[in-house]
Amino acid sequence: MRRLLLFCSLLILIISEGRAQSRTIKGVVTDNESKPVPGATVVVVETRKGTTTDINGNFSINAENGQTLRITLVGETPILTQITAATQNLNIQFKGSQSALNEVIVTGYSSERKKDLTGAVAVVDLTAVKNNSSGNTMQALEGRVAGLYIEKDGSVNGATSRILIRGANTLGNNDPLYIIDGIPTTRPEVFQSLSPSNIASIQVLKDASAESIYGARASNGVIIVTTKTGGNTEGKVQFQFNSTTSTESEKSLRYKVLNAVDRGKALWQASVNDGQDPAAGYGDIYTFDWNGNYANPVLNSVTPKPFVGGDPNTPVGDTDWQSVLYKTAIATNNDFTATVGNKNSSFDINFGHITNNGLVKFTRYVRNSGSINAITRAFNGKATLGASIKIANSNETLPTKDLGGATTTALAVNLAPTIPVYQKDGTTYAGELGAGYSDRNNPLHMQDLAKWNNTNRLTTFGNIFLEIQPIKNLYIKSNYGADNANYLAKVISPTFSEGALNRTTNSLFNDQNHYLSTTWSNTIRYDFDLNKNNHFKLLAGTEYIKTFTDYLTTYKENFAIQSEDYFVFDAGTGKTNITGTSLGHTLFSQFGRLDYNYNNKYLLALTLRRDGSSRFGANNQYGIFPAASAGWRIDQEDFMKNQNLFSQLKARLGVGRVGNQEIGDLSRYTLYYARYGFTQNQLTPGFWEQYMNIGTAYSLTGANTGALPSGFVQTQLGNPDLKWETTDEINAGLDFSFLHDKISGSFDYFSRNTTGILITPPVASALGEGQSKTVNGASKSNKGWELVLTYHGQQSGDFNYNVTLNFSHFRDKITKLPEDVRPAYPGNLENTIIGHSQFDIFGYKTAGLFQSQAEVDAAPTQIGAGPGRIRYVDTNHDGKIDANDQTWIGTTLPALEYGARVDLTYKKFDLAIFGSGVAGRRGYDPYTFFNNLMHSREDVGPGVFNGWTPQHTNTNVPALTLKDNNNETTRTSDYFIVNTSYFKVRNIQFGYTIQPRAVFTRLRVFVMGENLFTLKSKQYLGPDPERASLDVVPVPKILSFGVNASF
Amino acid sequence: MKTKILIITALAGLICVSSCKKALDYTPKGALKSTDLTSPTAVDGLVTAAYAGIGNGDMIGPIYSNWAYGSVRSDDAYKGGGGTGDVGEIDAMEHYNLVNPSLDAFISRTWKNLFKSISRANVALRAVEAISDAQFPNKKIRIAELRFLRAHSYFIMKRLYKQVPIFDETATADQILKTSNTLSDEDAWNKIADDFQFAVDNLPTSQPELARANKYAAEAYLAKVRLYQAYEQDASYHVTNINQTRLQQVVSLTQDVIASGKYSLSADYADNFLPETENGPESVFAIQFTINDGTTDGRLNFEDGLNYPHGAPQYGCCGFHAASQNLVNAFTTDANGLPNFDTFNNSIADLSTQTVDVRIDHTVGIDGHPYKYDPTKPFSNSWVRDPGVYGNFHTMKSQQLATSSSYFKLGPFMGSAKNVDVLRYDDVLLMQAEAYIELNQPAQALPLINQVRIRAAASTGRLKKLDGTFPSNYNVQPYSATNWTQAYARKALQWERRLEFATEGERFFDLVRWGIAESTLNGYINIEKGRRSFLSTAKFTAGRDEYLPIPQSEIQFTNGLYKQNPGY
Repeated sequence: MRRLLLFCSLLILIISEGRAQSRTIKGVVTDNESKPVPGATVVVVETRKGTTTDINGNFSINAENGQTLRITLVGETPILTQITAATQNLNIQFKGSQSALNEVIVTGYSSERKKDLTGAVAVVDLTAVKNNSSGNTMQALEGRVAGLYIEKDGSVNGATSRILIRGANTLGNNDPLYIIDGIPTTRPEVFQSLSPSNIASIQVLKDASAESIYGARASNGVIIVTTKTGGNTEGKVQFQFNSTTSTESEKSLRYKVLNAVDRGKALWQASVNDGQDPAAGYGDIYTFDWNGNYANPVLNSVTPKPFVGGDPNTPVGDTDWQSVLYKTAIATNNDFTATVGNKNSSFDINFGHITNNGLVKFTRYVRNSGSINAITRAFNGKATLGASIKIANSNETLPTKDLGGATTTALAVNLAPTIPVYQKDGTTYAGELGAGYSDRNNPLHMQDLAKWNNTNRLTTFGNIFLEIQPIKNLYIKSNYGADNANYLAKVISPTFSEGALNRTTNSLFNDQNHYLSTTWSNTIRYDFDLNKNNHFKLLAGTEYIKTFTDYLTTYKENFAIQSEDYFVFDAGTGKTNITGTSLGHTLFSQFGRLDYNYNNKYLLALTLRRDGSSRFGANNQYGIFPAASAGWRIDQEDFMKNQNLFSQLKARLGVGRVGNQEIGDLSRYTLYYARYGFTQNQLTPGFWEQYMNIGTAYSLTGANTGALPSGFVQTQLGNPDLKWETTDEINAGLDFSFLHDKISGSFDYFSRNTTGILITPPVASALGEGQSKTVNGASKSNKGWELVLTYHGQQSGDFNYNVTLNFSHFRDKITKLPEDVRPAYPGNLENTIIGHSQFDIFGYKTAGLFQSQAEVDAAPTQIGAGPGRIRYVDTNHDGKIDANDQTWIGTTLPALEYGARVDLTYKKFDLAIFGSGVAGRRGYDPYTFFNNLMHSREDVGPGVFNGWTPQHTNTNVPALTLKDNNNETTRTSDYFIVNTSYFKVRNIQFGYTIQPRAVFTRLRVFVMGENLFTLKSKQYLGPDPERASLDVVPVPKILSFGVNASF
Repeated sequence: MKTKILIITALAGLICVSSCKKALDYTPKGALKSTDLTSPTAVDGLVTAAYAGIGNGDMIGPIYSNWAYGSVRSDDAYKGGGGTGDVGEIDAMEHYNLVNPSLDAFISRTWKNLFKSISRANVALRAVEAISDAQFPNKKIRIAELRFLRAHSYFIMKRLYKQVPIFDETATADQILKTSNTLSDEDAWNKIADDFQFAVDNLPTSQPELARANKYAAEAYLAKVRLYQAYEQDASYHVTNINQTRLQQVVSLTQDVIASGKYSLSADYADNFLPETENGPESVFAIQFTINDGTTDGRLNFEDGLNYPHGAPQYGCCGFHAASQNLVNAFTTDANGLPNFDTFNNSIADLSTQTVDVRIDHTVGIDGHPYKYDPTKPFSNSWVRDPGVYGNFHTMKSQQLATSSSYFKLGPFMGSAKNVDVLRYDDVLLMQAEAYIELNQPAQALPLINQVRIRAAASTGRLKKLDGTFPSNYNVQPYSATNWTQAYARKALQWERRLEFATEGERFFDLVRWGIAESTLNGYINIEKGRRSFLSTAKFTAGRDEYLPIPQSEIQFTNGLYKQNPGY
């Protein structure tokens, strides 16, 4: 309790300088190989003052003679040393092993020393990601792990949009499998909601030989997360507190768009180019003063009409919608951990609290999380019983869409600037009204109306296990875990009227589902040495997984009062609608593993897994996934004994087979459903889909209301032969460390082949409704490499530094795709997707602009061509531009990803700089679309003023037009495809460790900047190549201040 | 101590073994297997679902509203909406500039939706045919209904795409994928006609559930097929011959329908466009729509959901489907109450002085005129979305008042529970009249056309303004027998069809059938573009623009089996 009070007074505590009698004790902490140990905790037992060792294992601490130092390190027995008058420089050595190589790595149902690894396993350095403003470790890993590719946006809830391990190996779901404390889950949310300070280790299994033990679910890679269970603190309660407060701003990432007058000028120019009277289309918005001569047009002035749609309550505006929609957000991330343990038991409690009040106005995110991990041993350590529970509860209000389905983030860029935010009264939201406008809404108004929307996610993830050791080195373990998620999205749609648009009926809509996946795994492990040189580890086990999800949506209309609290189903008096369904699957597996180690030189691992899944067809219910890998620790050979270059050198080779079963739970069945009153929206949500009946009910009597007779419809075709996808992979790697460990690293090359990729191709419409079926139809190959290099800078006085670089490359290709499946993917009959990734871009090639009618006449027939129009390339040389001229023009995945991290320490200061980027990527620039081309209804960028005219021909911007007869805006073409490579300085952290005083064993304050600088190609006109669409929130610049304290 | 360890070991061993026995099965919830679909109730359910299929269209893939395909592509109407870029696919149709047939809206989506509807009929046919008469006494009738429904969808497809793959319920998936779209017109029409003929032969004259197809609906539809079939086209869509045998079939089939006495023209033309009077005496076959029926939003017609006046506060969106000046002009009448066949488009109609056909105020939204029969909220120019582009006229037949019990607003768009009439008695009369004229028996056609005109003239009951006066000067008179030559009668018939079905989406298909699409539409554009400059780049290309392109995606799905229409 006393400590709690102290904790609360953390920020106001003023501490005096140390006592007079104390003196400075210096020392170095090393492991059993005499390598320095950074991060060990050194505490004066009597005063509880403490410090941690630096990167070279050094520490210095004030203590008095007669006091005792306790040096602790996770996984090690604490060392106690009494200070005597003779004590000068201490040399503390942990008898166990704690160099990176001796680090024990959880690799799936068992663990290995890092130096014994034979597969491609990335061990994530957690110190670097411990402090991040989002509280989302997954986002913080972006660019830090070779072979792990992460795309994100600025969503307030920190959701990531794409996570790929070694690229895209399948055509469908590429999400990795997560194993958290031995319990598998495919929900990234579970991992993303873990407090970083609660994570003990993260391993990424990248190749099939490492993944194979997870069988039919592992082909997208496996991320193994182990949470902290607390160590032996000798009964003393230890506290840790991390706090970060951040400001987030997207100000520097805004798009340049035209103001009210300039947009009028652009509309005038485009209309005149089209030979249309600008006043016909836009005369209600602007007064155009011009000479009326289409051959030689001269614009004197453009003046916005004083009122929008002639409504005297709506004076015309000149609105910068981006500045209206966005604000500087404040995010806080607080995390508190208490651990206690003794020789037999330990206990770890963690609370996390994250808030973010939203870059987009009226959005927000709050997450509370807590976890308890407990572990206890009995019978002299022969039985271990552990339990953990992690609960995360989050509430979020996200950016919304307008009545017509446009996102507010896109509207902030392209809504007409002549619309004011508010009407004359300053409080009523204004909107589009009158001729010349679109049917879009005021984005701020939409966010305001959506402020009662809330998505609540409650994740409960936990496990209990019992491990017994009946005889020495025989371990029997039973682990039962559950991943339980409750999702409730509440959408309150109040009535409103804005400009010409309105919503006349209010409603409450709840979309909820309940997901529960339980896993029961039982393993038996036996480690034995045949003799001095032959070491064996055996593992066998079974696993049973059962997953179900229940879905329910409820909808009601007509609420008499429009207040947040009144929108409860009982209060509604109008139409009611309920939908719901249930899905689930089961998985039963048997697996085994053999590790063999000869004299620490030759390593061999064999795994085998047999998976049965309810998702697979009756004819193929079981799959077998074998793998083998070998390692050769060259540095242990005699011939290496006398060299000093390499301190470690290990070659690895692995082959293996893994699977993927990410298809629908029911894909194997032919199904008929009674779809009484469905709309397409219930199956494939979308804007237009709301308006499409797909039901089976029909008024045969001719009545206009009331219950209808209904029937059944086939929804899919079964496939009894359906089976898992198979990925075969070969991986060759080299781990090295040389120049006295100054440089260390690893290199991996992989080649993988995925066959029988599960796809549900659309079929020729003539086959009719519900005729699509899931098949094992395609193959992909994927080759690549990863390189990690670390340079441990030489100590020079107080100054230390480390540099870590990582590079990775992959290129995935579709190698086989049955002909009837090809139409589901980009490509045409002549130019198929074979040899390309599904992330490649298919479209027209362009060759500049037509400069004259003569050029048009001489060129292949192109409907809509004309001087100043984009010239498309007749790639098939048939003399006309049509769909068959499309070809492959870019990819959205990079050729190279890289990251660089520099850590520097100087005395008590530390500085970490981290940057990452992608290279060799040509993709879509959404800004080109808005900056270079006119849109009749949306605002555009200043690029349009560089448009082609007979007098201004040296430009790549087509002549302005509102007609687009050349289909420039609707064709995918390389006009929009530019170099989207970039390098971002993602994180700079500058910290200062205050000399421990009084209650604190460690106190560090830091400032941190995220996404501070971006280098990008000049071709890319938008501000941030990471923002691939206007529909997402930009990734903001973040400035944070934080504290890490232990006491 | 040792004992305890052994106990725990034994327990652990037990759970290891027991877990191996778990079953892998997960059975689908709330679903049926094909074997569950053999009971009479289930089979009847499949028939119901097939009926539902003809109403399962889409705002951007319409199958029952032809406002985009039949009205905007004709001289009746403009696309409307917020400028030419708003729903660009229809703008491309309006400009006959369909250079990008791979867009997943309209052309490809309509194709998909129509085949969904066809497959529902085929699925149900297979189930009905597999059940015995004893179990299912209505077997014959249901088969006939299903073939009627299938033929209905094929008829729509044939009008839109010309070349479509036609197969029946016996075709396996493999056979379907090998069925090309290269049937000759004659064979294709005959296949469609076969289904309707089966329906004629097997349907009762009256069904206890009135929304089901009956014998007369089948006869009327078969007549329509035969009428289209009669106008024989060559490869470039020129009408080369009008087949007299087919016309004779039209006459006898429609005669049967008329003689049945089951149908008649409603007293007021407006009855055809209001939910209160739907399924009335004039409706021969209609697609039923419903509201407050327990479905998500109601089984509503959303295909016309963009077409409400944008600026009217009670609607608020989206102003599509604006009547053309040419159409408004076409409603003007001369002193004899007859159309101004040759002069109607010489100037902008002055509605304050010129006399007009009554049907103009059932069809066109005009400033100051009651809109949709509501004198309290007359149409106003301020309701128009983009007058600078599309002028001040709007359409109203498919729209309902915001106060109507059949009206429903979802998001920005509107749905209506008003049925969509597929075949009306006025169509039956005019089809017969057309057949008689082309059989060179114009005298037989005169009373039929006049019957339609007389009803039109009498349909003023809902048109008065608040002050009790009519918004327009009406003068509609029947034609006289004098000078009623074949040529004049043809002109009169074509005019009558235009006005009677104005903006209902028949016009474009009529023009193509008659072989006058190119001349009529380019003639229309040449004058209309002086009034609405957005049409300045529109041009109808004969031999191409009569039909839509076959969706590129379908050609790919079938690996190039389907033949693209010429010009695309």
